[in-house]
Amino acid sequence: MQKSLFKFIWQYSSRYQFVILLVTIASYPVSYILLDLPKHITNGAIQGSGFPVQFLGFEFSQLQYLLFLSLSFLFLVVVSNGFKLFLNVYKGRLGERMLRRLRFELYQRILRFKLPHFRKVSSAQLIPMITAEVEDVGGYIGESIALPAYQGGMLLVQIGFIFMQNVYLGLAAISLYPVQGYIIPKLQKKVIRLSRERVKNVRVIAEKLGETVAGINEIHANDTSAYHSADLSERLYRNFKIRFDIYNRKFLIKFLNNFMNQLTPFFFYLIGGYLVIEGDLSIGALLAVIAAYKDLAGPWKELLAFYQRTADVTVKYQTVIENFDHKEIYPTTHLVSDEVTKLHGPLKLEGVTAQNYSSNRSSPALTLTQQTGSSLAINGSDGNGRGELMQTIAGLLPPVSGHVALGDNDLGMQNEATLGRQIAYVGRSPHIWTGTMRDNIYYSLRHRPQTDPKEGMETDNGERITPDHLRRRTHEAAMTANPNYSIYAGWDELQAAGVNTAQQLEDKAVDLCHLTGLGNDLYRMGLRSTLSAGEHHHVREKVLEARRIFAQRVREDPKLSNRLELWQMDSYNSSATVIENLFFANPRRGELNLSQLVRSRRVAAFLKAYDFYDQLISMGYQTVEMMLDLFGDVSTGSPLFATYSFISQEDLPYFQRLVRLCGSNMKNRSPNDEEKARLMEIALRIIPTKHRLGIVTPQIKEKLLEMRVAFLEREGVGSERFEFFDQTRYMDNMSVQDNIVFGKARLDRKDAEERIETRLRDIIMELDMTRALETAGLDFHVGSSGAQLNLRQKQLVALVTALLRQNTMIVIDDILSGTDTAAKERRQQLRAYVKQSILVVGTTNPEIAAEFDESWQLEANTIHQLATGSGNSQEEAPT
Amino acid sequence: MSIDAELEALRQVPLFSVLDDRKLRLLAFISERSLYLAGEPLCEQGEDGSEAYIVLSGEIAVEVNHVTVAHMGPGSVLGEIAVLCDVPRTATLLASDDAEVLRISKDNLLELLEEFPQIAVAMTKELAARLEATSRELAQARKSLQNEGQPE
Repeated sequence: MQKSLFKFIWQYSSRYQFVILLVTIASYPVSYILLDLPKHITNGAIQGSGFPVQFLGFEFSQLQYLLFLSLSFLFLVVVSNGFKLFLNVYKGRLGERMLRRLRFELYQRILRFKLPHFRKVSSAQLIPMITAEVEDVGGYIGESIALPAYQGGMLLVQIGFIFMQNVYLGLAAISLYPVQGYIIPKLQKKVIRLSRERVKNVRVIAEKLGETVAGINEIHANDTSAYHSADLSERLYRNFKIRFDIYNRKFLIKFLNNFMNQLTPFFFYLIGGYLVIEGDLSIGALLAVIAAYKDLAGPWKELLAFYQRTADVTVKYQTVIENFDHKEIYPTTHLVSDEVTKLHGPLKLEGVTAQNYSSNRSSPALTLTQQTGSSLAINGSDGNGRGELMQTIAGLLPPVSGHVALGDNDLGMQNEATLGRQIAYVGRSPHIWTGTMRDNIYYSLRHRPQTDPKEGMETDNGERITPDHLRRRTHEAAMTANPNYSIYAGWDELQAAGVNTAQQLEDKAVDLCHLTGLGNDLYRMGLRSTLSAGEHHHVREKVLEARRIFAQRVREDPKLSNRLELWQMDSYNSSATVIENLFFANPRRGELNLSQLVRSRRVAAFLKAYDFYDQLISMGYQTVEMMLDLFGDVSTGSPLFATYSFISQEDLPYFQRLVRLCGSNMKNRSPNDEEKARLMEIALRIIPTKHRLGIVTPQIKEKLLEMRVAFLEREGVGSERFEFFDQTRYMDNMSVQDNIVFGKARLDRKDAEERIETRLRDIIMELDMTRALETAGLDFHVGSSGAQLNLRQKQLVALVTALLRQNTMIVIDDILSGTDTAAKERRQQLRAYVKQSILVVGTTNPEIAAEFDESWQLEANTIHQLATGSGNSQEEAPT
Repeated sequence: MSIDAELEALRQVPLFSVLDDRKLRLLAFISERSLYLAGEPLCEQGEDGSEAYIVLSGEIAVEVNHVTVAHMGPGSVLGEIAVLCDVPRTATLLASDDAEVLRISKDNLLELLEEFPQIAVAMTKELAARLEATSRELAQARKSLQNEGQPE
């Protein structure tokens, strides 16, 4: 990586910098004529005499001449601004391209960092480097050559002009430049040092922020918010001090510059005046020199600003680069090479010792040979470095000494394409990617794009992929040394999983979920997911059938029917909220939430039309009054308050005040619009069987049913805003489970939910839908970094991901570690499944280790083979 | 039936007789009201208890080792022992006809006792009275056993 910013600029943009420079110079005559022309118009055309005039071989009358000059002026205005526009766009594009190149290069370097390096850097520091810190570099690059060249040229021309008038005056004009040239860099040096400090300080702030978010539980559990606040406050104070120092110096430089610029005329008046009096210089020439000197100030100022900016940007560039330029990095080819060396067993370890991070010692040397089709277990504690040894065997960490090889291929010599496609590794706390289950499970197949992006496909920001779109992408990628891989391409390498079609891949994924014990979870995810019309058309049809059967069961079985309330157009569902009963619909878009609906004019107009607006507000008001009365004696910190009152802790003062001002039954004054919205929100959230407040009276229920019909008529069945509950149609915005049940579990029946779930499972089995739902579960969104999954699920997802691919070796560290028979069986199934590869298992339980063909015991200083079920034990203790 | 109706039922419960209407309403509000049809169990003997019951209407049969030992009607409080002293359910409770019951969870009950010590005092008194009655019955039973055992 280029250590100097200018080398970086020169290497990748010299051609474009020349274009900018040439166009800048070419634009100069135009600007000059443009400045000169008005003088000709006033002096020549308007005030001039001696018409008609000859110009360019044509004869012009006065009016014609005026018209000609004015039109020329107009033309030059257009040309000059055209130049400016072209230059700005060109510079901007160049800057953005260079920025993209720089950012990508930095990201690529993160990918190339060797694993141990990540113990030293934090993401909170790396993120601002690539996002914010290099941002200014982009804006600077477009100007980096042209500005000093152009302004420097201007400066030289002006100085030359002065020298031509008079050498002494010329010397006077530049007399203070050496002084400035000496003082300003000195001051600037200090600014550079401060800038460097500032960048580092901001990074520490970023890291502290990251830590606060990550450790928020500990902060609250230990009441250390004051401690952390003080820490951050100190950092902010330092930031302030540094920035203030920078300001001081920056403006001191400006001050000196301005001062000296205005000091020079002093010499002009003195020396020039003396020369004029002596008769050595004409007064006209002196005035011309003074005017020229004024023009000198412009370019000089620009150059100074440029100098300061250069210093600033260079510091930023360097402080970023130095974090990415170190020895613990793989060569680029390790990452980008697509050449795969076919790996075969056996696994050979020759005196392998692994770095043990916790004790800072190496693990004892291990030598063994493991044939394809057999399994190996290593039993040892984390403290003895089992985890690191497993990573070393998987080729993720380089061994401290010795060699890990598959067949004749030393893993240390292989590139990532070889290692990452034939060796699977699953650690005990795997990372789950934000996305669907499918995204995570297919992750092990996504090495290189397999098919081109489909034309007509929609990108994340709603653009359509067209040939033009692709061509432009390719061109820009080439201009910035980015790869031309598209994220919208098909990335799933079917052959790697040993299948031929997407359908087979899906089947294999679901089968593997069953094998590892994730099947039931997948089924539940399927029940909870919402199915899109396109991909899951058949499942949706079956869901409707399931709904019919479920409804029939409900009719036939009183034990079921008295545990739920189905959605029926003509009856009030007491287990649902008022708003669900009123609209009998779900908003189609997530953004139409309750707090927006109550503030919508459309909804208010509808409620008012049915004379229900005021009633709803008074329902809300009554509820608030009741809550305040009920919980009046309960201390506000009590969990009772948080769980049961409609009003959250922070809203309590708001409503207390409201009730105090409006008085009982709103006698004193009626609430304002915002208060009305809040009250409506409360009223709309009432569930009669849950809250039993007696506010939703039979009359109100009847009224709501009446309005429900009216609302449907008003919005229309095909409404874009609402999806009305319809017994005969699949509801897009409901989960599969809600679609089948099509009602609400009764809240006054304790075991309602479990009973419904069992019945649901029966029907799904009868209709043979289990598999389809499990497949639908693949599209379940696991949340940010798998927030929706528990640790067991995360581990199993990672295991399925590893098993989906055909591997030469599979390394599994400390998962599937249950000791019950079910867990034992799973391990047996796993061993049977990976018969074609070498299985290496890390564990902390000797009993589990004994289940495998060969097992070793790792201690702090020794490692020895354990007797196993297969009986081929031999004591060995090399170290 | 709304909270006001439940309030009426709660007033009849001797255990809560010291509480004013406001606290009774709060008690009702934080409880869950459930319907049990004839024959449906509220809880089984031997399982961990996480809630106490207040019968609002209908009748609940108390069974110990499959033998019905009592029928409890509206106003009775059941299952509070398991909640207060962390022992498994000492009896199975079954609805002997359709019954409406207020269920109050262990956490909420303890929270309520913490918030309003007067409830704790009232409950202590009530439990002490029950203990006293039980002890007296036990003494009586012993006495009659001894009387039986002694030769005339």
